Amino acid sequence: MSYKAPDEKDLEAMIGIVGKNYASNNKAITASYLAKSVMGLESQIPDIVVRPKYTEEIRKILIYCSAEKIAVSPISGGLSGGFACPTIKPAGVLLDLGRMNRILEIDEANRYAIVEPGVTNGGLWAYMEKYHPDWAPPIADGAPPAATVMGDAIDRGFSLYTSSVGPQGDNFMCAEIVFPNGDVVRTGSWALPFAKPFYKFGIGPDMWSFLMGSQGALGVVTKAAVKIYPHPKHKTVVAWGMSNPYDMQDLTLEVGHQEFGISHNTVMVQGGNYPLVMTRWPKDKVPHEYEFFKEIGIPEWWMNWECWAQTQEELDYVVKRINSMAEDFKKNRAKDGAAMKPWELHPKQIASRMKKPNKIAVPYSFWDAGFLFITWYTPWNECAEFAEMYNAEMEKRDIPPVMWIASIERCRQAICMPIICFDSTKDEDFEKVQDLNAVTTEYSLKRGWLNYRPDPFIHIQAYYQAGMYWKYLRAFKKLVDPNMIMHPGRLALP
Amino acid sequence: MAKTGMDRLNELKKEIFKCIHCKACRFAYSGEPSRKGIGEFKGKQGTVLYEGMVDSCPAGIEYGWEAFWNAGKIWIARSILSGDLEFTEEVRDVILPCITCGQCSAQCENKIPTVDIIESLRAACVESGVPLIDKHALVDGLVKERNNPYGGAADERFKWAKDAGLDKFVNNKDAKIAYYVGCTASYRQIEVAIATAKLFEQLGMNFTLIEDEVCCGSPFFRIGEVNTAQTLMKKNLEAFKNVKKVYFSCAGCYRTFTIDYPKWMAEGEKLPFKTQHAFELVAKLIQDKKIKFKPNAELKGKVVTYHDPCHTGRHFAIDMEQEMIKESKNLMFDSRKIKQKIDEWFEIPRIILKKLEEDVGIVFKEMYRIKLNSMCCGAGGGVRAGYPDFSLRTASLRCDEANAVGADILTTECPFCWRNLSDSNELYEHDLMVLGILQMITEYELLDILQKPTEADLLGK
Repeated sequence: MSYKAPDEKDLEAMIGIVGKNYASNNKAITASYLAKSVMGLESQIPDIVVRPKYTEEIRKILIYCSAEKIAVSPISGGLSGGFACPTIKPAGVLLDLGRMNRILEIDEANRYAIVEPGVTNGGLWAYMEKYHPDWAPPIADGAPPAATVMGDAIDRGFSLYTSSVGPQGDNFMCAEIVFPNGDVVRTGSWALPFAKPFYKFGIGPDMWSFLMGSQGALGVVTKAAVKIYPHPKHKTVVAWGMSNPYDMQDLTLEVGHQEFGISHNTVMVQGGNYPLVMTRWPKDKVPHEYEFFKEIGIPEWWMNWECWAQTQEELDYVVKRINSMAEDFKKNRAKDGAAMKPWELHPKQIASRMKKPNKIAVPYSFWDAGFLFITWYTPWNECAEFAEMYNAEMEKRDIPPVMWIASIERCRQAICMPIICFDSTKDEDFEKVQDLNAVTTEYSLKRGWLNYRPDPFIHIQAYYQAGMYWKYLRAFKKLVDPNMIMHPGRLALP
Repeated sequence: MAKTGMDRLNELKKEIFKCIHCKACRFAYSGEPSRKGIGEFKGKQGTVLYEGMVDSCPAGIEYGWEAFWNAGKIWIARSILSGDLEFTEEVRDVILPCITCGQCSAQCENKIPTVDIIESLRAACVESGVPLIDKHALVDGLVKERNNPYGGAADERFKWAKDAGLDKFVNNKDAKIAYYVGCTASYRQIEVAIATAKLFEQLGMNFTLIEDEVCCGSPFFRIGEVNTAQTLMKKNLEAFKNVKKVYFSCAGCYRTFTIDYPKWMAEGEKLPFKTQHAFELVAKLIQDKKIKFKPNAELKGKVVTYHDPCHTGRHFAIDMEQEMIKESKNLMFDSRKIKQKIDEWFEIPRIILKKLEEDVGIVFKEMYRIKLNSMCCGAGGGVRAGYPDFSLRTASLRCDEANAVGADILTTECPFCWRNLSDSNELYEHDLMVLGILQMITEYELLDILQKPTEADLLGK
């Protein structure tokens, strides 16, 4: 597929749509959108950046670019769905949706918020804390405050309620989507002109889910209704330490298997290994041996259950139940029961874990000079195998084995997040990471695991292996994006 | 041999490559989304919700493009280093309108020294042959000709001292202590210079005003004209070589002498004297119970707030942090000590304000964004000279915040902040009184000396 490199005439056209202050081909402005070694290694400087404010502007931009065969890559403003999926070849127009940052409606009775794509986790959180303090939005845990609510959904991410209610995509009820063919489609119950966003499947079938994982390769979501949840006052974190990922996996699954009751109280269930702590500091400023971390009370592996409840009594019950299940597991089924013990967290540690949104996923560049998340979904009861395999491959390459794992929907899936800390100033380190990614991808696809936010080069194999699915994905794209201009290269589509 | 901007940029390469576009740097309190504040306030520059995180990068707020927020500039620096981008006037016009307030650096979990990077980027841009913008070229021409960016005559630098009856301190050869006045206080905000010198006189200090003093070079380090800045640095180092300690009343000059000079001096060279801001001395004398303040009917009940100048606040705090990180063997253990030291640093001006509250009867009320998270006044980084409208709108945002807490008096400790806040206060009718803390002490005759400071008090630190 060949694309036109946009020129001055195209810039004029963009200016005609959004105004002169919101379209630019200034080289410094376009270069500022580069993003290597964040969620991927590839990034290309866009030719033109446009910052639309309204749906109609986006519609005009897409119609124009489609007619001119100019590639368009949308970013929602933050890290998730933003710089996580930067422009790649052939560059073209980058749509920065950061100006579309209005919180349009909060409906407590029907429990949804309607947001534009540029609404950030931090912005929505602060707004609801102030004006709707009994309710909280399902923002991503770990993604920084400037990441966007919608970007997280479109990336198929997770939220702070994820273990209880499922992946972020499931939190969205209805959306308004602009396709490059010029159509503006409203999904779910919004398909009817006067309907509230109360039913995701609408008149059926569900078109919204087709956008999940689209990485901007199908169209631009210009507004969406996201579920909001109660924000109870009674919260704590229960944590258990263990010596290996299998005990972490199996104990967590036992709690998740309850399905009702405590499984719904444990909104965020996530754990990992001690290098998760170690690599938050510069590598020459912190001991590397586990003995040091053991001495300061950090388990080799651990699992945190963040528990939310409406009353203290309910919270106490949840904590007691998790602890008694863990004791029983330790005694009867653990691989290394002797090493298992409750991790008594200091109130400050609990407060820090419960702070939302937070910057916990940010400081891994501090270790050296760059890091990368290469994240995978596995069935929960295979996450320990994933961790063992991935950590071994990281260690072979002298990369610290940093593993972070979270439960989705009461351990139906695991989101496994190895954090690859490396020196992004060095070409040889880039090669090392590419090699790691290639080897682990081959292993993972053989096991049937799925990449989260697939890399357009190495993870592309997943689409080729999904033959028939990919055929229909391509056909749908052709329907809504006849000239294939949306984020070329993503989803193994031109 | 002196360093070039490109040398510095290459030294900072690993720091530049740490940026992951997380954009925490655009906010004050980026790690405190649930922080309780004072709610919404409709000010002269629009409505701001002072709760949780607040957009606080002045250039980002003004221009909006990613390139103007900090992360964008760090990726511009990375593009320059990796050869994806070359310096041009177009690039210059994006990297210059940044006040280099350091809010971004304070928020960065990867501890990226953003101000250092942006200043080095500008220096490398100038070295590459890209001309200065006209307004910066004008002040560069003035300082080359007259040793100050205002174009004041050299023999009028200490006119204020002579007019105020303080001429005995000019070229006072016996003194081991010097007061470096700086250009703004010498030629524009002379009330700051007079207040400081009179305060020193009342404390019985034997100090000198050195006639060979020239501009500290701060504006030129900030805009990337480091050749000019280094020439001025050398003149000052020569002029002040015989004193043991230099006091300052200007945040920018203090930061330049203390942080920039060692960075731009040749390898192995060190400052030949100690440096300290006058407010540090006053705070120490309060803590040692050597001074207190007299009650004042005019000030009693007035709501006073304090603006932390970036140059004495955040820039020092970040520099302290960077130095402590360098020295640390186990940062997990030392991070608490770093935090404590930074907290103590920001408390220094507040020791004075709290004492004023106790003795004078003012009502000291903090704005929402303070200390490491303070919002800039808009004057620094060459922005006041180069982009005056943007500079004043930023100052007005800060005045809005003072209005939001019902302040009558907005105090600060930097004549440059004072100038910008005052101008903005007038232009946008914020109805505040803008005052330097030392100026308040001197002009309202508040100082009550219980015991004269010793030589150790004055030469210590």
